[in-house]
Amino acid sequence: MQDFLAQLPQQIINGLTLGSVYALIALGYSMVYGILQLLNFAHGDVYMVGAYIGFGVLTALLPLIDTGLWPAMVILLMILAAMIGCGLLGVGIEWFAYRPLRNSPRIVPLISALGTSILIQNAVQLTLTAQFRVYKTEKLIALDSGLRLGDLAYISTTRALVILAAIVLMIALTYLVQRTKMGRAMRAVAIDREAAATMGVDVDRIIVFTFFIGSALAGGAGVLTGLVFPRIFHTMGFNAGLKGFTAAVVGGIGNIPGAMLGGMLLGVVEAFTTGFVSPTFKEAITFFVLIVFLLVRPRGLLGSTALQKV
Amino acid sequence: MSATATRPDESSANTLLKRFTAIPLKWRFVGFITLLAIAPFFTNNNYILRILGNVCMFSTLAVALNVVVGYAGLLDLGFVAFFGLGAYLYGLLSSPQLSALINACLGDRASAEFLFIVPGWFSLIVVALVSVGFGLSLGSPSLRLSGDYLAIVTLGFGLIFVQLSNTLDRVEFPGCQQPLNLTGGANGLLNIEPLRFFGFELQTVTHYFYALLIWMGIVLIAVHRLNQSRLGRAWRSMGEDALAAEIMGMPTRRLKLLAFATGSAISGVTGGIFAAWQGSAFPQNFSVDVLINMYAMMVLGGIGNLAGSVLGASVLSIIPELLRSPELIRMIFYVGLGAGLMLVKPRRNGLAVLIGVIVFGLIVKWIVGAAAPDLLSGPTLKVAAESISTAFERFSQQFGIFVQGWILLLKDSTLIGNLAFVVLVPALIALSRLKASRLKLIVTVPVLYLLAFVWESRLTAEPAVTRLLLVGSLLVVMMIFRPHGLLGQRKVEIA
Repeated sequence: MQDFLAQLPQQIINGLTLGSVYALIALGYSMVYGILQLLNFAHGDVYMVGAYIGFGVLTALLPLIDTGLWPAMVILLMILAAMIGCGLLGVGIEWFAYRPLRNSPRIVPLISALGTSILIQNAVQLTLTAQFRVYKTEKLIALDSGLRLGDLAYISTTRALVILAAIVLMIALTYLVQRTKMGRAMRAVAIDREAAATMGVDVDRIIVFTFFIGSALAGGAGVLTGLVFPRIFHTMGFNAGLKGFTAAVVGGIGNIPGAMLGGMLLGVVEAFTTGFVSPTFKEAITFFVLIVFLLVRPRGLLGSTALQKV
Repeated sequence: MSATATRPDESSANTLLKRFTAIPLKWRFVGFITLLAIAPFFTNNNYILRILGNVCMFSTLAVALNVVVGYAGLLDLGFVAFFGLGAYLYGLLSSPQLSALINACLGDRASAEFLFIVPGWFSLIVVALVSVGFGLSLGSPSLRLSGDYLAIVTLGFGLIFVQLSNTLDRVEFPGCQQPLNLTGGANGLLNIEPLRFFGFELQTVTHYFYALLIWMGIVLIAVHRLNQSRLGRAWRSMGEDALAAEIMGMPTRRLKLLAFATGSAISGVTGGIFAAWQGSAFPQNFSVDVLINMYAMMVLGGIGNLAGSVLGASVLSIIPELLRSPELIRMIFYVGLGAGLMLVKPRRNGLAVLIGVIVFGLIVKWIVGAAAPDLLSGPTLKVAAESISTAFERFSQQFGIFVQGWILLLKDSTLIGNLAFVVLVPALIALSRLKASRLKLIVTVPVLYLLAFVWESRLTAEPAVTRLLLVGSLLVVMMIFRPHGLLGQRKVEIA
């Protein structure tokens, strides 16, 4: 018990780090689902591509750091490049794999999404090989810089940065969805696509915009992951995508605050499992919690009980 | 002017399909089974027989998946776990593993060492029963969850299965003296007994091929009869619209559970036969990749169509094997490309593009040869006379030399090939969206040439990746152009 209490704050910090990454991925899933009722299985691979774009920018700019470029600038550029690149990739995926399939039975775009996921993974493997790539985070942020909270816990600068960046992105997203014209249109399309179209909303444009924003968040998450857990590889998207999806479902799919909450919760559960139970059974226990959770609350934390209209 | 109006080429495929479906189902079934059954008389090549065994096995699995997903409309992403469960359960019972477990648990408390192996046929019965049990327990959440929520829960179940089979090799069990090795972990379960029926032991690949063929026949007949029955009609109506079915008074709870139980029983027993055939079971045999493969098979043939499932399983089991031979894969690729061009509506356009690509290639080769000759490498294929035996191999060799005559061969092709690949993907997508016009014809030429160049420089170098790239694009393209699969019926969605 003593041991448990002593470890608790540290595990919560670990959980929040993981959770902010999951939450960012979950947001993309949830937004797309809210608008198209489509499970975008390729989303995890967009995240993976984001991690690779960040790696590319970092590798290109590393020599410049010695000549006086600010590390903070490099991190910002990495995140921006990954967000823009992944946003465009998401738009491309929508255009190529989902747009021709509007209004077809549910399983059809799902299979197409699986196919897209396989395509992206193998395209990356073909061009960049299956090797691990390692983020040289230590060149950007000194490893021993960090905040020690007494004897209780230690927050490294990297982790603090990840949590902070995720929060900033989420606040920006909330502002976008709640306060801008585009956000209002997005909400309208999510509630009723046809009604929104008759009211003059350009539905196709909104869908493209949603894909861009969701994928950009996933790209940002990819870079943030790379900073904390430096090894990236071409199949990393699968597991992360699954976790993001799980988080979205736990929070109530289609619900934006739900996705954030679900991501954080999932991260904390996973960190607790790793820390207190057994790292070997991490995934199994996480999914077991998910299954039990869904059985108790099938619509997720914040999801509304959908009344089916006939 | 050619006044003879040729019918559009799409319809020729459809007439072929119509002729095929005009044959009574009974005869199609008997014909297919006979065709497979006589195969071992023509070859004793174990490799080919193994592929045919895989065809039977995956057909059975795709048919079982069809019951759950195609008929009952339950999106089950944990399906592969039942296949694995069957294999592991069979492996646990019918191998020295079980007695080793008991010995390890009792330790020195036991008066004697246990050494027994459960006979295979009995294990299969246990496997079937346990699979039904697990199917029901996984099916029960489906009563509360719908659609995508069901998908994620079942997917979680599948992942838990893989993880447990990977990690349950040192389990501390209360009351046991040593940690138990339940699944063998990443090393898998080994030394699994072969199947034995009435004193006849299945030993060779041929034996297992026939066992799987018979099992596939039984499953096909059973599922077909089920589909025609009251239960099958109820499943299909539930798959179409669960709410409407419930209003019409169908017991949807029971129907869902029955669908899960049927699917898991079939795949569990198939897994048992698979374990006996391989003599081993490994976690990666039951991973999500295999699940995607099964879904691809079902979807390719047409969801809800049994013959389609068999066709899809055959195509997707055989094509990856063909891709292992670089000469054959090259033939298939270019012949497929040429055939695709010949399907372009006015034939002369397709022909013009084909000639255009070759001429374009010769020009590019000439320019690069003149500008930077040291970049070029010589042809990698040479006419080797003695080592090559059959006429076909000689022909494919010649064909390869012909192709390399007009495709740029670079010394260090990896980097440029990768760049070309990165350019190719958006180019292909953009091309697919261009409206038919003269411009499209002209743009097609360099894009096709780029495709051939990437193929020669990168894709043949990485056959495993190429295979998956092809599977992925097949899934996407199939969904866009023929979402009802090769043999399925097009569904009309009424909003």
